[in-house]
Amino acid sequence: MNKVVGTNVTKIDAVKLARGEPVFTDDHRPPGMLYAKVLRSPHAHARILEVDATAALAVDGVVDVIWHRDTRPILHTRAGQSYPEPSPYDTVMMPEKARFIGDRVAVVAAETLIAAERALDLIEVKYEVLEAVTDMDEALRRTDLLIHETPDPRGISQAGRSNLAAHIDKQVGDVDAALKTCDLVVERTYFLPKVQASHIEPHVSMAWVDEDDRLIVRTSTQIPFHLRRMLARILEIPEARIRVIKPRVGGGFGDKQELVVEDLVSFLALRLRRPVRLEFTRHEELVAARLRHSQRIVMTTGVMKDGTIVANRMHVTADTGAYGSHALTVQGNTGQKVLPMYPAKNIHFIVDCAYTNNPISGAFRGYGAPQGCFALECHIDEVARELGMDRLELRKKNHIRLGDTDPLSAKLGEGKEGLVRVVHSTSLEECIVRGCEAIGWGDKRPPTQPYFKRGLGMALAMQGSGIAGVDWGGATVKLNDDGSVNLTVGATDIGQGSDTVLAQLCAEELGIPYDKVLILSSDTDFTPFDVGAYASSTTYVSGGAVVKAARRLREQLAGLLGTKWECDPGDLVFSEGSVTEPRGRSMTMQDVALFALYEAKIQPMATESHMSNESPPPFAAQFADVEVDTETGQVFVRKFVSAVDCGTVVHPRLAEGQVEGAVAQGLGYALWEEVLVDRAGKVLNPHFLDYKIATALDMPELVTFLVETSEPSGPYGAKAAGEVPIDGPAPAIVNAICDAVGVRCYRIPATPERVWRAMKEQESS
Amino acid sequence: MWDLKEYRYASSPEDAVALLRKGPGRGMFIAGGTDLLLFPPACDFVVDVSRAGIDRLAATPDGDLFLGAAATLHTLTTDPLVTGFAGGAVSHAAAHCGNRPVRSTATLGGNLCNALPSADMAPVLIALDATCYIADVDNQESIPLVDFFTGPRRTVLGDRLLVGVALPAEAGRRVCRSRKLTRSAEDISLVQVAVALGMEGGRLDQVRIALGAVAPVPLRAGLAETALTDLDYHSDCTAAVADAAEIAAGECDPISDHRASAEYRRDMVRVLTGRLIAECLDDLRRGGNGGAA
Amino acid sequence: MTIELILDGKRTALEILPGQNLLQALRGASRFSVKLGCETGDCGSCTVLLDGEPVNSCVVAAARAAGRSVTTLEGLLGDPLMQRLQRELVDKGAVQCGYCSPGMLISLYALLKQDEAPTDRDVREALSGNLCRCTGYVKPVEAALAVAATLGGAS
Repeated sequence: MNKVVGTNVTKIDAVKLARGEPVFTDDHRPPGMLYAKVLRSPHAHARILEVDATAALAVDGVVDVIWHRDTRPILHTRAGQSYPEPSPYDTVMMPEKARFIGDRVAVVAAETLIAAERALDLIEVKYEVLEAVTDMDEALRRTDLLIHETPDPRGISQAGRSNLAAHIDKQVGDVDAALKTCDLVVERTYFLPKVQASHIEPHVSMAWVDEDDRLIVRTSTQIPFHLRRMLARILEIPEARIRVIKPRVGGGFGDKQELVVEDLVSFLALRLRRPVRLEFTRHEELVAARLRHSQRIVMTTGVMKDGTIVANRMHVTADTGAYGSHALTVQGNTGQKVLPMYPAKNIHFIVDCAYTNNPISGAFRGYGAPQGCFALECHIDEVARELGMDRLELRKKNHIRLGDTDPLSAKLGEGKEGLVRVVHSTSLEECIVRGCEAIGWGDKRPPTQPYFKRGLGMALAMQGSGIAGVDWGGATVKLNDDGSVNLTVGATDIGQGSDTVLAQLCAEELGIPYDKVLILSSDTDFTPFDVGAYASSTTYVSGGAVVKAARRLREQLAGLLGTKWECDPGDLVFSEGSVTEPRGRSMTMQDVALFALYEAKIQPMATESHMSNESPPPFAAQFADVEVDTETGQVFVRKFVSAVDCGTVVHPRLAEGQVEGAVAQGLGYALWEEVLVDRAGKVLNPHFLDYKIATALDMPELVTFLVETSEPSGPYGAKAAGEVPIDGPAPAIVNAICDAVGVRCYRIPATPERVWRAMKEQESS
Repeated sequence: MWDLKEYRYASSPEDAVALLRKGPGRGMFIAGGTDLLLFPPACDFVVDVSRAGIDRLAATPDGDLFLGAAATLHTLTTDPLVTGFAGGAVSHAAAHCGNRPVRSTATLGGNLCNALPSADMAPVLIALDATCYIADVDNQESIPLVDFFTGPRRTVLGDRLLVGVALPAEAGRRVCRSRKLTRSAEDISLVQVAVALGMEGGRLDQVRIALGAVAPVPLRAGLAETALTDLDYHSDCTAAVADAAEIAAGECDPISDHRASAEYRRDMVRVLTGRLIAECLDDLRRGGNGGAA
Repeated sequence: MTIELILDGKRTALEILPGQNLLQALRGASRFSVKLGCETGDCGSCTVLLDGEPVNSCVVAAARAAGRSVTTLEGLLGDPLMQRLQRELVDKGAVQCGYCSPGMLISLYALLKQDEAPTDRDVREALSGNLCRCTGYVKPVEAALAVAATLGGAS
């Protein structure tokens, strides 16, 4: 047996990245390239009446200034999702009305960056300032103040009628009736902040028109194929005229599952017939890219004395900001990915998602689940406390098990009815055991200072592997003279290592060494389609396509050799770079290739597509050991343990890396990260000085276990790994704080002041 | 990008002042540049003082320590002259200023002249009775550092240049500790406190408590200092420490902003002051500087 | 304005703007390992050595580099210590998206040049100015300590 899957092969792009080679979007500068800069609205809500660019155009080096008069108002969504997108069509390239502080007003193109920046200061804009609404509850109440006046042509949002961007109300069983029969009903409200993905490479794109009059877009994206389709719509040109190239991407985490700058560089390149480049500043990332939706979640749970959870209601109120990209589906995930953890007979899930004049929310790793998981896993601790039951026991008694069905998934698909989900693989029970052991559950260590208290907390999490019945990808495998293969996939490596993992799966299936696989990904002219890098889909869904394509190539070769050797093709063994038949005759893959290409005169090559009607959940059990300074409220996480079931582990080190990185982001969600927006809609901390993400000094000792299972529907048994470990850190840490000092932070991040205040309130009550 | 018309290099403090005054338009001094390039102020030109010969660290024969304004924060964290003074309290404060690469270029003078209420170097230097030296084209003036700041982002400088600060030898023998309270490991100070205690015959003398980020300018908590002066530090000081901490909290004038509320900042002055005094007293009882941590 | 400096070991003249930061000047000089991440001195993607000390080139004025020595990752590709660090980062899985890797490598190189026996804490201090959103720092720290161990000063 070839052994590539399960080994730590060298990440396919690591060497060039470690050499600092010019492989990212901005490392390529086409001759004659112009720099674009966006003038952004200083008002949260204002009509853009007139733009006077006379002075700006007079600046040396300024080539063009555009605003809404120069563009056509084609309604679209910027969410990168499969067509028809389950997000409202509420956006145009250049709006006539600014809907948040930071909305597009005008765009400058200039020969140099400094000329573009000088021009921004000189553009004169006449605004009609409108009343702004930044509070989501007020926005939901107000029908006299519409953030979107034009109806959503597909009726996903209530644009034109109210500020309701998305609404969900789905029920399994009858929660109200069930609650009446329960021994105890616990209701609590949890508050989740806006946070930002903070990939270190900002959004950056460049576009030019080539010698065949085609538009080439080189961009840092997670969704090259969706982008091509969206650009065609917005620019009113056929997809055939557009080629999207994704070079190496410096992180995306969902924030690049969106068209954020590509339309502008494309429009300007077509208009000016020159290459145009636009790169966000960090300030723009924090005000004009996408945020994780802030939510308020009311949890109502009914239990029996023995701890059986009978009914569970989650009511989510969310703020999507000025536009509704991913509004329905992120909020849908808050319940759909989270509530099945405890499969009560009665589950009710309600969402009201509001348009406001705040910065835009969208996709961010976890996609709604971190919010829901925080509420649910804190709530389980609260229920346990009220019941007088051990919080670990309460979880063990109720959590989802092998063979359990998840009826909520049938009610809640990707913006429509979905498919019933049955758990065919899980090691959650072992994850809990391993995690408890590693954290020292029930054996709290003493605090390290007299004014510290110590606590332990845990959380369980589950996610999905792609969107069932929706996500799909294609793969092509082609054999070369020397026995190497070209693997081309639409799947999008954004740093997570999917090129490596897909190459491993291909090598495993063909029985060739990993370094014989040459992968090319995400170029819309040259690779098959793929939905892109999101929803934890790449290993599971795109990997499925790779395995199928490689298998078909193998079958072609087996057919050829079966004829040559007069044996049953099914008896041939592909391993270690050779093909062997039962009587012992053997050929190296190179000789097989030479035979195919020069004697049989055929190109062994296969293209396959893969879609799954299942979305098997990966699971995680996560544990935190924290110390709390009882006087300052500071929280110090000493150790954090994650035990994760992601099915078969294709590349252990990359999978661990996914967990460790997700935990770092989850830690930030728990303790520091919050994009602060004031009542006027202005971001107060639009830079890393004040928007704190974890540094090396902030990280506790991390312990990560990958507790393997074999998922029957996954390639070599694999499930997803990328998102599930971001869900548990916040509730585990907040539960640990509560264990240490006896107060619960219903609102994260649990900043020192919030913890201090909670302790003071407890003291005075 | 910072839209400057000109970048000038000064070869001496006097040259720097002359180049600044030459005009035309508005000029500013630049040293490390880590604050100025962060949020570039509107101005026409800058005068680079990093080659003006004001980056030296020196000790006088009687033990005074001189810190050149253009000395980098990294130098302050590592130079033996600084790590050996007052138990390394100045080095400790410098080491908690920004991140490693910022400290390679950010200067002491830049930190002080930028005059943020949260300037990381101010409290510890004030607690050690720093004097600043200010150059004009033809003369130099010295004033106590505590009088250097006149408001947020404002100092007494005008168009003169800070050339350095001096710390008296006597201050180097005090026990001194400073601490900043932050949200995450590396952050702008929410509250900063520095405490320095001298002794005279078993009693506290030359008590200094300096506070940062809790008033328009860094300040001394004079009443709390007085409350501790002459305290017999071999006795049980618990109540006296708590009182002094409470008094210090009453002496600050914090604001509420997106980083923290005034109420929290004030209480943190109490907490940190109390802890630092107690730790300094322990150092004294152990017979010296216990280090700055 | 034109400045002269030693760039990656070679005397070089650079045409710069007076208010330009060193990051933009270096990318303009095709040093693409120097990455833009924040331009506020917080993320460290643009870390280079200025006279041997790690600096955030985004908050250093390009003009300040006049007459000094600036070293980027491009200038250290042949350096044995840098090569060991690169190899170890690659082998330990410390390179995910790789955008922060050049800056991290410069910081770690500067650390190990000055201290052959760093502790875990020392490595984290040295990396405190290099934000990485992918790895949680586990593998980069492991890699740095592994290289330190080969320098004979493991602790």
